[in-house]
Amino acid sequence: MSVLGSEFKVAIADIVIRLFSDSEIELEDGYVPFLVDANAVVDIQAECFIGLPQLNFDSLKLLFEARNDDQRFYCIYDAPEGYCFVLYDQQLKDEVQQIAFLNAEFDYWKIYSRNAMALKYPMGPIMMHYLTLYTDAVLMHASCAFDGEKARMFSGFSGAGKSTISGIWAREGAQIINDDRLLIRKKEGAFWVYNTPMYYVDSSKKAVLNAIYLIKHSPVNVMKNLSGALAVSRVMAFCIQNNFDRSFIDRRLQFFSDLCGATPVAELGFVPDKEVVAFIKENEF
Amino acid sequence: MDINTLSKIKLNFVAREVGDELVVVPLSGNVAQMNELFTLNETGKFIWENVVEGRSVDELAVLMTECFEIDKATAERDLDAFLVKMDLLEKYNR
Repeated sequence: MSVLGSEFKVAIADIVIRLFSDSEIELEDGYVPFLVDANAVVDIQAECFIGLPQLNFDSLKLLFEARNDDQRFYCIYDAPEGYCFVLYDQQLKDEVQQIAFLNAEFDYWKIYSRNAMALKYPMGPIMMHYLTLYTDAVLMHASCAFDGEKARMFSGFSGAGKSTISGIWAREGAQIINDDRLLIRKKEGAFWVYNTPMYYVDSSKKAVLNAIYLIKHSPVNVMKNLSGALAVSRVMAFCIQNNFDRSFIDRRLQFFSDLCGATPVAELGFVPDKEVVAFIKENEF
Repeated sequence: MDINTLSKIKLNFVAREVGDELVVVPLSGNVAQMNELFTLNETGKFIWENVVEGRSVDELAVLMTECFEIDKATAERDLDAFLVKMDLLEKYNR
């Protein structure tokens, strides 16, 4: 069930976000397991308003547009002290759903919404993406299984088998951190993998990342280790990002260079049955 | 691709060293094209980093002979092969 209130604290990847408003705001149920104690030390503030401000689009410089052939999802503009996000309603298409401002330090949001749903899609995922610029982190299209000893991340193109291989590990008793979107954060000398709030309810989870597999379906189980620039380029391709600023890209390159230097990376062709679990354990690094 | 064109279009890429290699991310309208990033080996990295405005193929070939202990003919051959591969980046010439 969603929750109503004028102030919430949620922790995503151990980063505490305080959402607050003069009005009552609503958090969708996917965020509820990520709520933390009122005494938690805040990293990022998100001031929420109901009602949209007037924007003069002619005076704004467009930095980035997320769209497909049918519709715009959101646009990012240069704002005097950071960035301005204009989010479009996914059903009503060109109707503006929310307008948000983020400062240049990535730690203060002002979110203006048509209704009380402050983190209505895609506002929530956008905020999660910018957590990765607030701290040393990346957001990935990937799944991750933790078998109590090792956390293994599986990434690949759409249809490569991320959910399939997660399901196999789950049936073998592993905890699935998430099977679609993960946040990897460098913290205290280790690379941690976290789940993030989804449209469904799932508890907040994390583990130290031990291995990265770039997967595809194959007639036989086969593994090939990758290293150096090739590993960096192959893993980075599955990062979720708004790379409209060279400094963002440079930070990503540094992060993935460090990640792939510290964490084994391999290509994995797999047959979708439980034998792949033993195959991985027998052949990994 | 000629060496002068390459020196100009390098502005449309972000590159980072990984060991002896280089990861190169193309930008299109300032937005990274993550599905088109590529890597360069040690020789490619040397050439990429030493292609600068005003430097000729001949001068770069001499630099390569000093760095890799190869003769000039080999350096020129490697350089030609590299520049031919760089034709793939022509779309970033704008």
